[in-house]
Amino acid sequence: MGAEAGSIANEEVRPARSLWSDAFRRLRRDRLAVLCLLVVLAYAAAALLAQFGWIASPWEQEVGKAFAPPSFDRLELIMGTDFLGRSVLYKVVHGARVAMSVGLLASLISVPIGVLLGATAGYFGGWWDDAVVWFYTTVASIPGIMLLIAITLMLGKGMTAMCIALGATSWVHLARVMRGEFMKHKSREYVVAAESLGAGHSARIFRHIFPNVSHFVIINFSIQFMGAIKAEVILSFLGIGAQGLPSWGVMISDAKDELSRWVFWPWLNGTTPVWWQLAGATSAMFFVVLALNILGDALRDALDPRIK
Amino acid sequence: MHRRFHDLLPLLLVPALMLSAGGCTPRKKTDTANTLNTYQPSRIKGLDPIYADDIYSGTEVKRAYEGLLQYHYLKRPYELAPNLAEAMPEVSADGRSYTFKLKKGVLFQDDPCFKETGGQGRELTADDVVYSFLRLVDPRLVSTGWWVLDGKIEGLNEWRESAKHAPPDYTKPITGLQALDRYTVRITLVRRSAQFLFALAMPFTSIVPREAVQHYGKEFLNHPVGTGPFRMAEFDRNSRLVWVKNPTYRKELYPSEGESGDKEAGLLEDAGKPIPFLDRIVVQVFDETHPQWLSFLSGKLDATGIPKDNFAEAVGGNHDLTPELQKKGIRLHKNPGIDIVRTTFNMKDPLVGRNKLLRQAISLAYDAEPYIELFFNGRAIPAQGPIPPGVAGFDPDFKNPYRQYNLEKAKELLAKAGYPGGKGLPPLEYSATADGVSRQTTEYLQKLLAPLGIKLKVNTYSWPEFQAGVKNARGQLWSYAWNADYPDAENFLQLFYSKNASPGPNDANYSNPEFDRLYEKALQLQDGPERTALYQQMVRIVVEDCPWIFAVHRSIFSLVQPWVKNYKRHGFEHNAMKYYRVDPALKKQ
Repeated sequence: MGAEAGSIANEEVRPARSLWSDAFRRLRRDRLAVLCLLVVLAYAAAALLAQFGWIASPWEQEVGKAFAPPSFDRLELIMGTDFLGRSVLYKVVHGARVAMSVGLLASLISVPIGVLLGATAGYFGGWWDDAVVWFYTTVASIPGIMLLIAITLMLGKGMTAMCIALGATSWVHLARVMRGEFMKHKSREYVVAAESLGAGHSARIFRHIFPNVSHFVIINFSIQFMGAIKAEVILSFLGIGAQGLPSWGVMISDAKDELSRWVFWPWLNGTTPVWWQLAGATSAMFFVVLALNILGDALRDALDPRIK
Repeated sequence: MHRRFHDLLPLLLVPALMLSAGGCTPRKKTDTANTLNTYQPSRIKGLDPIYADDIYSGTEVKRAYEGLLQYHYLKRPYELAPNLAEAMPEVSADGRSYTFKLKKGVLFQDDPCFKETGGQGRELTADDVVYSFLRLVDPRLVSTGWWVLDGKIEGLNEWRESAKHAPPDYTKPITGLQALDRYTVRITLVRRSAQFLFALAMPFTSIVPREAVQHYGKEFLNHPVGTGPFRMAEFDRNSRLVWVKNPTYRKELYPSEGESGDKEAGLLEDAGKPIPFLDRIVVQVFDETHPQWLSFLSGKLDATGIPKDNFAEAVGGNHDLTPELQKKGIRLHKNPGIDIVRTTFNMKDPLVGRNKLLRQAISLAYDAEPYIELFFNGRAIPAQGPIPPGVAGFDPDFKNPYRQYNLEKAKELLAKAGYPGGKGLPPLEYSATADGVSRQTTEYLQKLLAPLGIKLKVNTYSWPEFQAGVKNARGQLWSYAWNADYPDAENFLQLFYSKNASPGPNDANYSNPEFDRLYEKALQLQDGPERTALYQQMVRIVVEDCPWIFAVHRSIFSLVQPWVKNYKRHGFEHNAMKYYRVDPALKKQ
């Protein structure tokens, strides 16, 4: 009996493992996706190292005169300096820290909400399903940026407020997907079997169905992560995001006025507008958003059985 | 008056935004030739005179409302002149009593609130003056301008006290504020005051009709009904105000005297002509400086200050206009601003308010020189105390011991204050407005405090929210500017008088009995060496207690388009625009 049970368990586990390893193989074959993954990991590493103060630290420090143009004299001057003579390179790195942490925290808030609401709505159906669908339709019908600003202002601005606001507004898509998948799966044979073996609702939802739809979470995670980074930059640009931290949005906000300020640049032997904060922040944002986008697509190709 | 600490000039002019072609809904085409396009760098809280405590709402209020007195537009040094009063008041022998004769036939602007006349504005009378002053006093209205009358007029404080317990009676006779007949008002002061008449030229003491207050109730804030040269046509507090010429405005003439040089500058060409010359004033609200600058360059704004990042583009290193702007005929006006930019410590706060050494340490770490370069392009001088140059009581030789940048001494004092290296000190709560320049200023302050180990917790607000926070003594530090209301140092010293604490103008909630005593003594003195000596003594007390970081005094650079005539910067007159003229022919070019 024991041996039999073991072999059944093995039978069940093998296909699951092969889905993941299969997906990983596909992903590895897609060179662009691997490159993007490396880019994202590099950002994550930079953010982590900056968080612990091992690189680009301290960013608040004056490293040269105000508005010094890019130069190769020292590493911290490669992207020039800002109005207080701080290194733009350091600010870009710390901007990555802010963006990545907001992306991560916001996703960590929104994913459980999306999974929980979507799963229970799809699984139980009935009035609860109606209620959840009504709720997410309502949330989705309010323009996202408005809702974000409203919640951020209500919670008093800053990183925490921003993460909560982003988390609270970006779960709808995932909830929809999960609801659909749970509706499909709940009457499948393996779930019926689990039920007849005495598995309760929560066991069926989380132990049996969820592992079979969890790849949607991964796909969604990468997309939400990217959305959160973009939203962080926008909110910080508007002055209601990161407070007192070197966010890319804040840098772009600085740059919009600085572009009309001209300074002497030895490389050109002439004057140039102060463009380096803008260039640094936008390119840093461009690469990570692009990488997450491509990675998200690649993950979908690799993981979503419907596209196989 | 309160002012954001980093804006550049109180009057900004914006045009009818004739939005460029391509898909935009075309705005109704009005005759814009005789329009002045100006701006405000901040949202307008409202247009009720008794709340007009910042320079932005004060300027807007004064387009529609008038007071008994005004300033002579051209004469310097600044001089008061009659406005709604027929002449300057008769003063009694003991100097305490002023009798004003009102001009006859002054009409309030037509408005539906005048039901008896079917919307036609009625004549202004002495009762309106008494009524308007009492609104400023009425404790239920929580005016932000009560301080200009507090303790000054006989019987007024008693009236205020009685109104705290029972509904206020606006008809109750008050000894110091009487309408003797339809056109005569007598004001009797508790004691002689050298500054009292200045209060009658401020926005707070503008005359409002009772009908409008009753008809509009809370909405009175958005419906100005005054006797002034302009009436409101459009009010969107977040973006734009439009004023049009008031057709029932009485006959007022452009001044025919000025100071020497005015004639050569063409400022007397319109002497003796009826004002106002403008048909419309369009006021655009710009939170950020860049669009403001671009509007000016494209001719859609008739005058502007110079944003810090555009300074080099506008004005060369020698502080002269660049050739490009000269070619356009744009004029540059440079004037000292009679003001102070400072960072306030909230003395009500149990932490910063009770620790003098901590405040002194922070003040010592505040380096004004880079601040002036970075944020004012050199258009400011470091402040040593509250009194700016240009008013009696300013001492050019005085050096504030806590305003000489000295990091070592700052660290020493911080250790003595109980926080060596900043250890044990929680992040200080700093309030600021939410625009870009304000954020940069905050970053600068954070950078200055970093070597002391002091951190800031920053809360950002819109300008009206920010002011409300300050009024409620919320937060530990904030940056603010004070612009003189009248040319007397008393206007700066009253900012430390304990009875003027929040919601009054003493936003630090500073209180020192010795200072109060000297202040009250100085109030009774006329301008002279004795008073100046008292002023300087008071400055030394404040400097030692350090309720502010005295940052800088600004100079004001303004750029004016060639078609704007009769422009002369005035430090105190809020309604200078009634004298402006636009030359449509030049504007078309």
